[in-house]
Order: sequence, then structure tokens, then C-alpha cells
Amino acid sequence: MPDPWRFHGGVHPDDGKALSAQGAIRKAPLLEKYLVPLQQHIGAPPKLVVAKKATVRRGQVLAEPGGFVSAAIHSPTSGTVSDITECIGPGGSPIPAVEITSDGQDTADTCLEPIADWENAAPDVLKKRVGEAGIVGMGGAAFPTLVKLSPPLAKPIDTLILNGAECEPCLTADYRLMLEMPDRVVAGARIITRILGVKQTWIAIEANKPDAEACVRQKAEGTGIGVQSLRVRYPQGAEKQLIYALTGRKVPAGGLPMDVGCVVQNVGTAVAIAEAVLDGKPLYERVTTVTGTPVVNPGNWRFRVGTPFRAALTLAGGVKEDPAKMISGGPMMGLTVYSLDVSIVKSTSGILLLGPSEVSQFRSGACLHCGRCVDACPMLLTPATLSVQIENERFDLAEKWNAFDCIECGCCAYVCPAKRPLVQHLRRAKAEIMVRRRAAQAAAKR
Amino acid sequence: MGEYFALIVGAILVNNFVLGRFLGICPFLGVSKRLDTALGMAGAVVFVMTLASAVTATVNQYVLLPGAPFSVGDLAYLQTIVFIVVIAALVQIVEVILQRFAPPLYRALGIYLPLITTNCAVLGAALLSAKESHGILKATVFGTASAVGFGLALVLFASLREKLELAQVPECMRGTSIALITAGLLAMVFMGFAGLGG
Amino acid sequence: MTGAIFVLTVMGLLLGLVIGITVKFFGTEPDPKVEKIEALLPNANCGGCGFAGCSDFARALAGGKAEPNQCPSTNTETAAQIAALLGVALGVRQPKVAVVLCGGDNTKAAKAALYNGVNDCRAATLVAGGAKACLRGCLGLGACARACPFKAIEITGASLAVVHADVCTGCGKCVATCPRKLIRLVPTSATLHVLCSSPEKGAAKRKKCSAACIGCQKCVKAAAGAVSMEGALARVNYDHQPSPPGAIAEVCPTHCLQPALLDVTPVPTPAASASEVAHA
Repeated sequence: MPDPWRFHGGVHPDDGKALSAQGAIRKAPLLEKYLVPLQQHIGAPPKLVVAKKATVRRGQVLAEPGGFVSAAIHSPTSGTVSDITECIGPGGSPIPAVEITSDGQDTADTCLEPIADWENAAPDVLKKRVGEAGIVGMGGAAFPTLVKLSPPLAKPIDTLILNGAECEPCLTADYRLMLEMPDRVVAGARIITRILGVKQTWIAIEANKPDAEACVRQKAEGTGIGVQSLRVRYPQGAEKQLIYALTGRKVPAGGLPMDVGCVVQNVGTAVAIAEAVLDGKPLYERVTTVTGTPVVNPGNWRFRVGTPFRAALTLAGGVKEDPAKMISGGPMMGLTVYSLDVSIVKSTSGILLLGPSEVSQFRSGACLHCGRCVDACPMLLTPATLSVQIENERFDLAEKWNAFDCIECGCCAYVCPAKRPLVQHLRRAKAEIMVRRRAAQAAAKR
Repeated sequence: MGEYFALIVGAILVNNFVLGRFLGICPFLGVSKRLDTALGMAGAVVFVMTLASAVTATVNQYVLLPGAPFSVGDLAYLQTIVFIVVIAALVQIVEVILQRFAPPLYRALGIYLPLITTNCAVLGAALLSAKESHGILKATVFGTASAVGFGLALVLFASLREKLELAQVPECMRGTSIALITAGLLAMVFMGFAGLGG
Repeated sequence: MTGAIFVLTVMGLLLGLVIGITVKFFGTEPDPKVEKIEALLPNANCGGCGFAGCSDFARALAGGKAEPNQCPSTNTETAAQIAALLGVALGVRQPKVAVVLCGGDNTKAAKAALYNGVNDCRAATLVAGGAKACLRGCLGLGACARACPFKAIEITGASLAVVHADVCTGCGKCVATCPRKLIRLVPTSATLHVLCSSPEKGAAKRKKCSAACIGCQKCVKAAAGAVSMEGALARVNYDHQPSPPGAIAEVCPTHCLQPALLDVTPVPTPAASASEVAHA
């Protein structure tokens, strides 16, 4: 299948992956304390089920799902619940958190049995395991995976796509995963294929990772899973662009991948699912890239959830120079954080530090109407018009101009010569439109 | 036929009532904030002006002019007063009917609907027709075309103002001042039609 | 001359007849409720209610879009009559005023980062929750000030929103604009405010802001019921106001308990006064 469908727009930033690409995944040593945030996914906050001073084991449930769109949270190690407090969440707002003080034993909880004979296990059993293991999308959005794997009957799914594009610059966590544990990636793909009962499964990898592609291709041979090389273009790994590249199907505005019969899962999620099924291991650790020019030893580590950024950076040898910016995630879609006490959560794909020379202290100007953002937008929006509408707080107009379709990929802000904070405007509009829609819904109910 | 064509083009574009003759400026500035109310106003004006032109021309031809069938002497000097009375009555009737059959439009037009009474565009069309000694049909066509021209200017201006609302206008120029400048520019644009259609 | 009189008379009669017939056959029945309300109103068309004249106000009343006591020219008795006519309870109009419950300007509250993005508080909270170390502090980017139709909110030179109580009408438009929910509507009679909204523990707050309520409870003892504790935060009981508030405010070690002033200028703490002057 030679590159059949190219999405519109996009950009081609310097990928910056060389810094951390050679950093094989290492296991982070056990810490004394973990601060586990109690909201690590999109959706309803989970319900805390442990009390203060309770003894917990590694993998024990700390919080149960608080609704259908929610996910359980498990203890990263064995020890005691030393405090129930709050921490700064990845979005910057304070969220409840549990502090676990390690007892140094790291005793595993054994409530989840490995499902050895998964190839013959009922899809529902496997699906249940995904929920029990608290698995969420590990690409960054942190959407509860169980929900994605439970499509309504009216929306038949025929295609599963495993996203190994990792188009986000600087991050190499998925690349290392595919290189080092391709068997787990393929096993995960097969488990999800079994759960969904789909006809075709693809593992999609951007063409700039030929070695990872070769590894996965070798393991996938004879399993009926296709491996597809993708054009190198940001945001090739965005759900809708990926579906288009592989199947030529276009997700309608305001729709979901399931509307065109597709489910997209990150390769990291597939590995987590494989571990949950084959090892009976809930999602309490993940591979995270620690990188950036100021970092002494950039690389990839397997961090437990609740590890503070401070500990992660110490492990990477600290910094050579004072960083100007710290980002949770990659440079295009990541969220700026300023506190070293922020914890690594299930969706933290990377910790990126930028040096003073890499951060422009711009003052944004008025829109020049050059239209570059329109050319760059992979969702066919007009960020220039939208940003002006949003500056004037005309969210009704912004909604009409499909602000809600924005995937916040950052292409528009990347190309803007006036350095306008277009993504921030759109994020604000999306938040505001969401509030309005909820209000309208509540009003309609009354 | 050519005569009527020239009349229509002339009334809509060349001597546009708002942007060429500067008549009916009050509703032009007042009802041009939103495109949908502007469209409603344009519709109402087209209706009133067509009707008013027809009725005033009839009154003029049959009553006021010397030698008219129901003439009681040369009453041409009464044109202005009689036309105003006729227009006022018509607007009253339109208002009553709108309130009954299109309440949302009635509310959107608000105070501007009764103000059509004093809209000099309506009276202007009637007086111009009388001055040019148009027949009843010609006067009606002229009234309709003038009203369409008025509506065109109103809708164009409303669209511009909806865009202007989002523009970064210097503090001292916000609101009416930038609207007037825009109206002036629009009038200059319409001057480009001079000479079209004879 | 006689011709002119004759023509105008006939035309007047004719047109009047046509209008009469139209109203008879197409007219809408006026709402009797509106008519009754209109009769009770002063019909001075002063516009004090915010509507275009008394009949417009009467229609708004009948439609439930206004309250009887919005009319400044009627006495309570008439307002009660109108309320009875509408079948609504006559609300006691208690004049309110907005207050920003944060006193941590740039000279007192620590900054955690440099923010360089959209100049709006609600947009700033989307980037790592804003640049202030205190996650419940005023961001000072002026979303409330821009929303205020009366320009009653000023952003001080040290990036803190303060409400000028003499200009504020208590309309409450600013309340929803604050992403940190720092603005509250309080009775105009309020004499004391705790200018802090952080529920964090005293020691943690103190690190981030020198004007934070540290929960020492000195004011609770001094104020006799006017101030109570809500976790680690003192809260003024706005129904229960002490009349000379100055003495109570003085006991506050961080000056976060402040007497309400008509024209609020932040009272400088001794340490911060020099830099405040520099900002002004």
C-alpha cells in the first residue's frame, strides 16, 4: 500500500529524536515516596477506596472507576498510604492525590491472575481485564481504553490501527518499545484484535523509524497483522489523520473513529494490555522519555506512576544549564509545567526541557491574514479567523466555525509569523464551548 | 422596456437611495448591526415603499394634479403633506399585520418599524416620482427599485459591521465613528457606478 | 383653499377607516395583565428600570423578565400590588457589591513561572494553571475588569484586581469570569473582608504569599462571631458585621483581613510599600 492518502496540511519540524533515541529503556529505581494523582484520565474522577495509613501492595487498587468513562488507579509499590492530599495535576489545577510511602519490599499484589491461554479466552474476559488493569490511552490523551474497546452495537468496527507513528518531535518512548519489545506490541495487537473481532489490524509506523518497523514486521509475520510505513509528516500520528492515511476514510466533523469503523490504539497501550493479560500486571508504570538539550543524559526510563518530575530528572543526570521551559509531553502537543513536584501519570509520554536559546520570548502581534495557519491545519480549520473571534469572545461564532474539531496539534502556532498563541485560543474556545453545551443540555433537561 | 431597465439600475446602483442620495440614513445606521435584522428591515422597507409609491402616485394623479379626474383645483403644493399622511397610515397597517403574523421580526425591528413613517427614503421616492411625473406603474417600479437599493446598501453595510465587530479598532473610533467612516467608504464605492445604465 | 381642506379631510377619514378595519380584523389582543400593570406604573417613562419606557417594562414584567422593584419611581406599596398581580413574591432588594477575595499582588505573592500567552485569566489557567505559585490567587490578567460594564474593577500596577465599591453596581457579571472563583457578591454594608481564598494549610500558603490567611484565628477571637474558620481559612460572616472594623482588622498578622473601603487602594504592608510606590 504505497502512501495512498495524504492528509492536508501539517508541518515538518526538526524531530529532535536523536538526543534520546539511543537511550535503551531502563528501569527506574524504587523511590521512598510516590505522589499518585487521582485523576489520570479524561472522564469521571475515580473513587478512592483506601484509607489513610492503610497498607497497600504493588498493583493494589487505590481508586475504582467513578463511572463508565473512568479508570482505576493502582498503587505503584508496596507500603503505606501516608497521606491523602492534593497535587498539581498535569493541567495545572490542583487535584486530589494519594501519597504512598514505600516499605522497600515492593511486594506484588496477586489479585490479577495472568491469562495464559488468552488465545482461547472469551473476548469479554480480556475486555474485563483491560478495565481491571486501569488502562488508558498512553499516547497523551489518556482516554479510558475500555470505553474505546466497547463500541456501541450500532457502530460496527472492522479495522484496528496500532499507532506507532510517534510523530511528536523529541519523544522516543514508543520507538524504544517497538525496538525492544516487539513481541509485546504484537501480542497486544492480537489481544485487542480478539476483543474487537476486527477483520484487519494495522501497525502503523512513521518511515523515520525503519529499524523499529523491521523488528515489529518480523514479529508480526504470520499473525495476519499488517505493518505499514507512513509518510513523515506531523501530525501523522493524530487519530483522524492516521485513519485517513491507512484506510482513506474520513472521520466526520464532530465524529469519532468508531463512526468510520476504526479503533486506534497507541503501541504503548498495546504493550500495557499485553502485560495486563499475560503477566496480570495493572498499569502502574510506563515508559517515559526524559530529553532536551539541557538534560545531561537524555533517555528512556520505565517510571512508576506518581514519580515526581524531580526524581525523573535526577535519574537523567540533572541539567547542564538552567532550562527555560519544562514540558510534559512533546514540544508540539505537550503541556507546559513549572513545578518539579508534578507527578508522572499514565499519559506522561515525555519530560522535555528547553534551554533559554530554544524558547523565544516573543510578543505576539495582530493577525497578518497570511493564511499559513489555514494551509497548515490538518483539520481544515481557519485558525486565523477563529482566533480573532475568540479574542472577541464570540464563542458562538467559533463553534459555528468548527472550533471543536481542533485537535490542538500546534501546526498553526508553529507556522504563524506573528507568533499568535493560536492553540491556546482554541483550547480556551473548546473549554468555553464545552461549558456552554453542558449548560444548554442542563437547560434542556429542566 | 429599456426605459424601465435604466430606471431600475439607476435606482438600485447609480443613485442608490442611501449611498447616492443620502436618504434613510437613520435606519441604515440603526438596523445594520446584525445581518438578519437588516434583512428583515430591508423586506419591510421594500413592502412599504412599493405600496406607498403606488398609493401616493395614484393620489397624485387622480386628486392632486391639475386636470386630474377628482381634482378640486391645483393641489400639487399639498404633495408633501398628503404623502406623509398616506405613508404614516400604511406603516400603521404594516405594523399591525407584522405584529400578528411575524412577531419575532416585529420585536427585532423594534422602534425602527414606526420610524419607517419618517424614513425620508419612502417620502423621497414618492416626491421624486411626482417631480419626474412618473405614471403609476413607473412610480411603483421606481419605488420598488429604490427600496431594493436601500435594502442592498443595508445588507452590505450590516455584513461589513459584523466583520468590523471583530476588528481591532482604536478605542476612540469604536462604534458609530468607525461605522460612519465605513458608510462613507461604501458610498464612494457606489460612486463608481456613475454612468451605468444611462 | 376649500379644496385643500376638503381633500385632506376626506383622506384622513378614509385612511382612518382603513386602519380601523385592519386593527379590527388583524390586530392582536393586548395582554390585559400588561394593561393593568401599566396602569399601576408611574408612566413617567424615566427609563430608570433599564427598559424603554413604562409599557416596555410592563411587558417585561408580564413576561417574567423583570422584577417589580426594578422601578425606582414606584413606592413599595405599588410594587407589592404589581407583585400580587403577577403572583410573585416581592424580593427584598439588598444592594450588593462585588469583592475580589485575594490580596496577593505581585509584591506579596510569589510567581512560579513567566507567563507569555493570551492576556486573559481564563486562557492562562489552561497553561499549567497560571503562573502564580498560589493556585487560588488572582492572576491579574483582567478578565473581570474587561467584563465589567461599569469599569468598576481596576487591575493595579502590581497585577491584582480590586473592585471600586463606589462604582460597582453589584450586577455580578464579573463573578463568572474569574477562573479561580475569587469574586463574591456581598452586601454593601459589609465592613470586613478576608482577602484570601486558599484552603491550603497555613504554612504552605505562607511560603507562596505574604498576604495569605494563615489560619491563626486571632480575628475569630477578636470579632465575636463576625469571622469564622472554614478549614484553614478565615471567612467573614457577611450577615453579621462589626461596625468599627478597624480594630479587628488590626489583629491580622498578614493584613489579609481588611476593612472594606469604598475606594479600595491596597493597603501597603511595611515591607512592600517601597515597591508599591515604584509600581504606581
